Amino acid sequence: MRKELREMRHRVRAKGHAVYRRASAPDVLSECEAEGLSWPRRVARLLRRQCEAETPVILPGERIVFTRTVPSVPPIYSEKEWDALFAAGKRHELGPISNICADWGQLLHQGLLERRAVAEATRAERADDPAAREFVECAMDGVDAVLELAARYEAEARRMGETETADVLARVPARPARTFREALQALRFVQAMVWLNGHYHVGLGRFDQYMGPFLEADLRTGRLTVAEAEDLLAEFFISLNKDTDLYPGVQQGDNGQSLMLGGVERDGADAVNELTYMALRVARDVNMIDPKINLRVTPQTPLDLLELAAQLTRQGLGFPQYSNDDVVIPALVDCGYDLEDARDYTVAACWEFIIPGKGMEIVNIGAVSFPAAVNEAILDGLAHSADLEGILERTRKNIRAQVDAQVDRCRNIILPPAPFYSVLMNDCLEQGRDLSTGLKYNNYGLHGACSANAADALAAVKHFVFDRGELEPSELVDALITNYDGREDMRRRLAREGPKVGNNDDRADAFLVKLFDFLADACEQCRDNGRGGILRPGTGSAMYYVWLARGSEGMAEPVVGATADGRKRGDFFSSSLAPSPGAPVRGPISVLQTYGKIDYRRICNGGPITMELSDTVFRDPESIRKVAMLVRTFAELGCQQFQLNALNADTLLDAREHPERHRDLIVRVWGWSGYFCELGPEYQEHIIARHMHGLT
Amino acid sequence: MQKRRREPAGDEPCGWLFDIKEFAVHDGPGIRLTLFLKGCPLRCQWCHNPEGIDPHPQTMTGPAGTRVVGRRFTPGEVASIINVQADILRANEGGVTFSGGEPLHQAAFVAAVIDRLDDVHVLLDTSGFASEADFRLVAGRCDLIYFDLKLMDDARHRAYTGAGNACILANLRVLAGMGVPYVVRVPLVPGVTDTPDNLRRIAAAVQGLPGLERVELLPYNRAAGGKYRAAGMTFAPDYDETRPCNTDTSPFIEQGIEVRVT
Ligand code: SF4
Repeated sequence: MRKELREMRHRVRAKGHAVYRRASAPDVLSECEAEGLSWPRRVARLLRRQCEAETPVILPGERIVFTRTVPSVPPIYSEKEWDALFAAGKRHELGPISNICADWGQLLHQGLLERRAVAEATRAERADDPAAREFVECAMDGVDAVLELAARYEAEARRMGETETADVLARVPARPARTFREALQALRFVQAMVWLNGHYHVGLGRFDQYMGPFLEADLRTGRLTVAEAEDLLAEFFISLNKDTDLYPGVQQGDNGQSLMLGGVERDGADAVNELTYMALRVARDVNMIDPKINLRVTPQTPLDLLELAAQLTRQGLGFPQYSNDDVVIPALVDCGYDLEDARDYTVAACWEFIIPGKGMEIVNIGAVSFPAAVNEAILDGLAHSADLEGILERTRKNIRAQVDAQVDRCRNIILPPAPFYSVLMNDCLEQGRDLSTGLKYNNYGLHGACSANAADALAAVKHFVFDRGELEPSELVDALITNYDGREDMRRRLAREGPKVGNNDDRADAFLVKLFDFLADACEQCRDNGRGGILRPGTGSAMYYVWLARGSEGMAEPVVGATADGRKRGDFFSSSLAPSPGAPVRGPISVLQTYGKIDYRRICNGGPITMELSDTVFRDPESIRKVAMLVRTFAELGCQQFQLNALNADTLLDAREHPERHRDLIVRVWGWSGYFCELGPEYQEHIIARHMHGLT
Repeated sequence: MQKRRREPAGDEPCGWLFDIKEFAVHDGPGIRLTLFLKGCPLRCQWCHNPEGIDPHPQTMTGPAGTRVVGRRFTPGEVASIINVQADILRANEGGVTFSGGEPLHQAAFVAAVIDRLDDVHVLLDTSGFASEADFRLVAGRCDLIYFDLKLMDDARHRAYTGAGNACILANLRVLAGMGVPYVVRVPLVPGVTDTPDNLRRIAAAVQGLPGLERVELLPYNRAAGGKYRAAGMTFAPDYDETRPCNTDTSPFIEQGIEVRVT
């Protein structure tokens, strides 16, 4: 990377641009109240005032501009009124629409003015429909506010003598992009506007697909050299890191700026292009936490692409994350997605599969706590002299009850209007309907969390109690209730000698498969989630590996005490798809063989196999090639999603003691990566523990 | 699935392993499964697998508690562990590696495992310290051999590994006549094996040997002493661990021998 870019990266990391941030956001609430504005009009007004409050800032040497100067999103309702809006139903997370993905290609090909013209036409056509009229007016107001800010940026660029930048801004985002630079600028600017409007986890979608044609045209006509294009792309990637400290998330870094590379086109043709490779190269060299890279693969993906991806993994960022088209696309079709749309999938913030421009899906309405379902079944079953079948039946019922409770809780989610975000989706303007009223796909996702510990617990009961008779049911129940107090021998035996998920051992894997079958059965019972969609079961755990073990404020699921896999109360669970922490596991191939057994045709919400490899595995090109082969093996074994980390345990330990020496150390946490030193202590602890149990 | 060689006959000689490692990227070509066989007749001062030396099970005590190292397997058990991954190993240009310890210390067992394998590439990683019969028994069943040469001077070999090098050099000559390809690997121990004189003598010894693919120089790994305390042993090198190794490849290049530092 050029020196100028390295310096830019350094300045962004040091948050040098924060000096341009104002002390506070504009007061929007007063006028909303004084004018008695409707909800959609308040959201539109918010964007207008936010745009007006922005001061154009163009940093030295910058070619992809926008620096946020309004640090927060002001309220549009008083707290009381805000709560009242949701009184008849349920608010999802913070409220505003999040964790979906726009059709960025549409923006780049049409420009905001053409989108506005569509709104205008709908307003004329639907003159007798007040809701439609209000919606398109709000959408148009949003477009106008955004374009006014773009014009002020253009003026600032001219004032500074940055003629090229000014010319780019004179063109985009108002009109269709013509060059790679214009397309990157349009995307940067408009994506930032979505954040400014209060949305979060603003996904970037299939970046190489909508951006690739601009790159290819510029390279073909000689407008750009490869090196120049890489510089622009690097600058764009760096710019996505500017405001990450302002974004809401469980921990800093959890901001959902994920993008997808590779895969197939809507007609099924191979979609890998020049930009697929370039984005991997540039992400490797930029080496920052945003954007989070995903790569679609199949067993036929060429090794050279996977080798490049492995070089990115070596940086320790925890990406790319891989998803297997051969598994994901048929599963989405089974779920009711049109084949062309299924081929167009990307990921939401972490790992859930969604369709850009077409999905108002809530991919993470919650989690089913497998450990709670299993632990209760074991305690109750053993206390009532149940056999293994009886325990499994209780487990099935518990899972069903948890799913039903989740569905009930989410039956009536109220989504706030999002008129500007709707501009960026398919058919909202055309039909005069805000995206919050629904898009083509409106499914919910529900994850089965901490599956490995739960499966291991069932396997331990079968093995030690029923098959071998080495443990009396009452002994085990007592030990679980007393947190193995005075029974350390028993605990160790359960923890070390039982069958464990991750060893390609059917004695444990069969229970893993069963748990997910139970989850899929329960989800299939729910034919309508209340928004005309279904419930998609998934395999992710997000923060539940910590929360279910230790509790978290406001969490509905109970904290789970000691479990029959030899885990003591308070110890972490497994994260997404990974063997239980500390379980003896032979290695990566067995882990993949185990997880290849899950029926992903039914378990289609996503959630990766997570695996830690020592950074020594990446030390030479030959080993990098083997990592690429490991990814190919993942695809060949029919697994769904895979997230590989390169870690060095000594570095992590040192970083905990001496954060000042490791300010730039990046680690994968769950569906996202963050700076190790900025994580809460419990997350630091889990990452260290995970690596101590690492595979190689 | 096509079986590799012959159907086993008669008694099953059981064997002891102290580890099985998947995706061992530094143990040969492609994706490999490495089996660590317990027991080694040598006592190299720099041995980084001290738990592989004693042929019997032993305990290792670390921060996470105490565990027993060393488990008994039948050849059939080990073969089935390998065979369930055979397709994957083969598809990824890899196979199985027998390492240790010294695998030839359990030669009959290793041979019995190999006889039960599906179509899998087999690599033997050996010190060469074994009887000729044991050496032939296993090496004849392998696709590739990693053959260690440490010290050419017999007295120094004795001083640093506890035994002379005569049978090692004899087995190297046996290997050269077998038609099985092999790589000669030299662990570079600072001031011990990495001396210009020793490297020159190794180059002279392997020069012109039929079947030699290349020589690999393995720079010293400072983690060598890491596991001794846990194994209840003392790590007492009489060389200076902190000295950088001499990785000069010229003695080999001058002889026209392909050489790599890995
Ligand atoms: S030959 Fe290998 S296993 Fe045996 S003592 Fe020497 S280094 Fe250790």
